[in-house]
Amino acid sequence: MRFEAAVFEVKSLSYRIGSEEVLQNISLRILKGEYCAIIGPNGGGKTTLVRLLLGLEQPSGGDIYLFGTSIKRFNSWDKIGYVPQRASQTDASFPATVYEVVRMGRVAKRGILAFESAEDVSVVEEVMTKMDVAHLRDRLIGELSGGQRQRVMIARALASSPEVLILDEPNTGVDQRSQQRFYALLKELNVNDHLTIIFVTHDIGVIADDIGRLFTVNQTLLTCNDPKEALSCSEMSKLYGIDAHLLSNHHRH
Amino acid sequence: MLEIFQYQFMVNAFIAGMVIAVLASVSGSFIVLRRYSMMTETLAHSALVGVAVGIISGTSPVWMAVAVAVFSAWTIEYLRSYFHLYSDAVLAIFLSGSLALAVIIVSLAGAFNSSLFSYLFGSILSVGMEDVIAISVFGVAALVILGLFYKELFFIAFDEEVARASGIKVDWLNFLLVSIVAVVIALSIRIVGTLLIGALMVIPTISALRYRQGFGRTMALALVFALLSVVGGMFFSYYFSLPSGATIVICVLIIFIISLAANRR
Repeated sequence: MRFEAAVFEVKSLSYRIGSEEVLQNISLRILKGEYCAIIGPNGGGKTTLVRLLLGLEQPSGGDIYLFGTSIKRFNSWDKIGYVPQRASQTDASFPATVYEVVRMGRVAKRGILAFESAEDVSVVEEVMTKMDVAHLRDRLIGELSGGQRQRVMIARALASSPEVLILDEPNTGVDQRSQQRFYALLKELNVNDHLTIIFVTHDIGVIADDIGRLFTVNQTLLTCNDPKEALSCSEMSKLYGIDAHLLSNHHRH
Repeated sequence: MLEIFQYQFMVNAFIAGMVIAVLASVSGSFIVLRRYSMMTETLAHSALVGVAVGIISGTSPVWMAVAVAVFSAWTIEYLRSYFHLYSDAVLAIFLSGSLALAVIIVSLAGAFNSSLFSYLFGSILSVGMEDVIAISVFGVAALVILGLFYKELFFIAFDEEVARASGIKVDWLNFLLVSIVAVVIALSIRIVGTLLIGALMVIPTISALRYRQGFGRTMALALVFALLSVVGGMFFSYYFSLPSGATIVICVLIIFIISLAANRR
């Protein structure tokens, strides 16, 4: 795969809540077309790092550049698709159909005062088909299974035709079979659609074959260019602070 | 023509009431889905401070109510967004604080009278042509604004964090929505009254939610329920000499009970 330019560049980033240092001196570069995973223990700062990259939190120090532009001046947010942590656990009583939810993905792209164009409709149809949720279009989001909701949320993120997809532990509440289907889909989006993927997860074993680089976050950050090497028990033990034993899971799709 | 429409004040009340029904149900849909229903009650109590100031100062109670309600809405949203205070706690502070302030103002001025009572519970007799024009002009403007930002407000109601990450100006739109809601509440007090307007904003949407439809259809259903309640309430109010606000709320409650019974799951 050919990497062209840095999609994210983070320099000496730190984030503090009161006197507590959540992230210290983080520096990283994520290149166009990469498939990276971020792992780390609960409370280690993975989600905080993602929120900082998305501009949802303000750093205490350091700089973030998105597509070569400082985050303070960046305004092409439609280039980044985001699937949050609770993607499969949306409010069951919210009155939104699958079609209405996926259409939300076009809102920022369209801008204020713009009517829905033929292109908007066609992109929404296309991503619904790709995510295999087109047949659910008139169903309420609350009536779907965890795996179906997860696919709807990814369809929404893809509807803005992003160049980067950030997924923050989107497998919470999703059954094993849907998870395997989901990993295959991510690989396909990376390989076929050249989408840059940043995937925050605990479930690193099953995607070790797919990812190009692994970032381990526990207040500070370690970058590993060979994810399989990083998955040794001693590395995991150091990261999580407990005795770790690696169980391999050779899934194939 | 029905006897009821031979009186100009009833024609005024119907026009104003129907515009308010549309505005209250449309803006109320966003407020309810954001778990912000108590905002309507709080702003209604804030509007009462404006009414009290208007009555004792001899200025227009309705326009004073608009000013105070908008100021309160902005302050609540500012405290919620920038100080990260619990939303329900901020609303509770404003609700009780506004009521206390309004009671003190009218007590000091000795203004506990029928005029104040009509603002508390609504009175169709008090709706003049001036009110109809003000409500209609604002109503059209508010509907145009809500229509323009419909897709953004829907996105924010569903998932504020992802909407923010998409680059949508969430804080600005929140201020816009609460401002519209504040003005709707303040302008509605002639018909429904400050103590009852919250019901017209919240109950039609809650009733519509029972039918388990998408957002567009839920909002349309809420609008129909609000219109039926206002029209039905005014007829009952006229023919049985009842306070308009209370009869409208009873009508919307009946619709809620029917919706609940018809959709038990």
